[in-house]
Amino acid sequence: MMHVLIVDDQALNRILLSKMLEQEGYKISFAYNGLDALNVLKREEIDIVLLDVLMPVMDGFEAAEKIKQLNSEVYLPIIFITSLEDQASFERCLAVGGDDFIHKPFEKVILHAKIKAHSRTRELSKKANQQKKLLEYHHNQIEREHEIIEHIFSNSLENQGKFKEYLDFNLSPASMFNGDVFLVAQSPIGNLYCMLGDFTGHGLAAAIGALPVSRVFYTMVQKGMAVNDIACELNLLLYNLLPGHMFCAANIIELSASGKSVSAWLGGLPDAYLIDNNGNVKQTLESQHMALGILDEQEFEYEVIHFEADPSTRLVLATDGIIETANHSDTFFGEERFLQTLKAKPMISSEDIIQSVSKFANGSEQQDDLSIVLLNCLPLIPQEQEREAFSTLAFNLSLSLNSQQIKKTDPVYDVVNILSSVEGLKAHRSNIFLLLSEAYNNALDHGVLGLDSEIKKQEDGFFRYYELREAALANLTGAMIIIDMRYCPDTLCLYFIICDSGRGFSNKPGASEPTLVNNEFGRGLSLLEEIAEKVTYNASGNQVEMCYKLS
Amino acid sequence: MSLTKNESVDGTTLTIQIKGKFDFNLVQSFRQAYAQMSDKTVKVIIDLRETDYMDSSALGMLLNMKKTIEGQVKTIEISNCQPQLRKILQISRFDKKFDIS
Repeated sequence: MMHVLIVDDQALNRILLSKMLEQEGYKISFAYNGLDALNVLKREEIDIVLLDVLMPVMDGFEAAEKIKQLNSEVYLPIIFITSLEDQASFERCLAVGGDDFIHKPFEKVILHAKIKAHSRTRELSKKANQQKKLLEYHHNQIEREHEIIEHIFSNSLENQGKFKEYLDFNLSPASMFNGDVFLVAQSPIGNLYCMLGDFTGHGLAAAIGALPVSRVFYTMVQKGMAVNDIACELNLLLYNLLPGHMFCAANIIELSASGKSVSAWLGGLPDAYLIDNNGNVKQTLESQHMALGILDEQEFEYEVIHFEADPSTRLVLATDGIIETANHSDTFFGEERFLQTLKAKPMISSEDIIQSVSKFANGSEQQDDLSIVLLNCLPLIPQEQEREAFSTLAFNLSLSLNSQQIKKTDPVYDVVNILSSVEGLKAHRSNIFLLLSEAYNNALDHGVLGLDSEIKKQEDGFFRYYELREAALANLTGAMIIIDMRYCPDTLCLYFIICDSGRGFSNKPGASEPTLVNNEFGRGLSLLEEIAEKVTYNASGNQVEMCYKLS
Repeated sequence: MSLTKNESVDGTTLTIQIKGKFDFNLVQSFRQAYAQMSDKTVKVIIDLRETDYMDSSALGMLLNMKKTIEGQVKTIEISNCQPQLRKILQISRFDKKFDIS
């Protein structure tokens, strides 16, 4: 029910108006002057104000202005009650916020018509206001969500700020979220990996794939995997994750720590280029494969390209947003212009390139995400690896292998795996393997099996040797090899004793043998001397003791 | 422990990648990996990125390979060595015979 406030100091007017309105079923309230009206409006929800002009305490002009100020959100109609005929007063009524007039003497039909018309407008205004509030609510909600997502995205791109000397890149998303993704990481041996990807479309839907991709990329780089293995893993991830019409064109690059060689898996992005510092193209690197997320595991293509690089070369990667940028006459920026831009000045920056693309677009709306990456092929320094603290628990480990076990097991590999699980020893596992492998194989081949390394000198002797070894091993009986290990946390040393049931060495190996690469054999025992702190053989030559220093 | 080989797109580079342990157990498969190289091959990369262990038998296998294919290819590269394996190669003076990166 509409609620009408009649503001008039004259009782006659109030009575006349209220009679007319009550008949139509309106709810009525009264006020006797402007100030009084303001008080009523504070207390009650009023839909329409009928306002007299000349009143004591506060007149209609002043009241109208205040009422409008206090009710700016939803339209509150003010209809002036007036007997004034002069133009100036009308104008003033409108100027202070009046919406309409009703003249004395009151005409019922006109009064009703006006009230109805203004009620409709007020209803519309109320609805619009509700919708506006709802929109504001959702807008705030989305802004908040976007902030959270942006935060997650920026955290997922953890390394972008590092490697400034090596990488110059510029990513210009077409909307708040970037459907292009650029990832950088260094493997433990120092190789620098980067990946430029372009998901189908742009905006949040395109950007969402960047999160799982970055996790897999970082994990695999940490393991130092090859670019095609990384591509294979990402392909499988996206094949299973993305809807059928979405995929990710990507170039995955690995620059060796020496800065001298690059391997690349190129899937679906525009040509990449190897350029010199002046921007002349030395090699064009065409995409070789379909984008990631299209082929299933069996169909996936592993082929990579390898090429040599040096400090005077740079690798240029770009997404199709660059060459497909159009100007007002629908001409593409295109490859030719792109190649010219690279030559525009020595050591051109990604910023320069983006600027010339946007200069070409000349205000045309950006249709796609633009990304450009310049990789300077410089040598890298491996990252410092965190050293695990050494276990403080001393222990002994002892194995006695009989003929059956010698035939069927790979004790060196298994023992190294056991030792690697001890805190601090993992970092030394390659050396531990080498020591055990040389000593064990020496005990087995020469001690137990009685093989003669001289065979290796013959034509094809290397392979002959291993054939003989296999045959001798198959017939082995009554043999024994004992491996004793001791870890001493106080001296930070590993002590090994390897002892076999064989007849021992006739000529003891050792420092007398030269460590020449040309030797067909004897390399192993020389290596032992180098890697171990101390190597000693017993008199009969069937037992070797080694000490390996961990620090 | 395993061995995979991959040819580059243009067929000029053969990559032999050894995972886990590089020792005499691979003697046959390693020889086979370079036995039937295409004529286009000019470079062989022994990729040790996933090799945790090697011993002197692996060194022997590498030298054998070098003897066999030396006349056929321009470069033999041993790449992506873990620091300890790199040291083993250096101690054995392999850096004089191979490109080690």
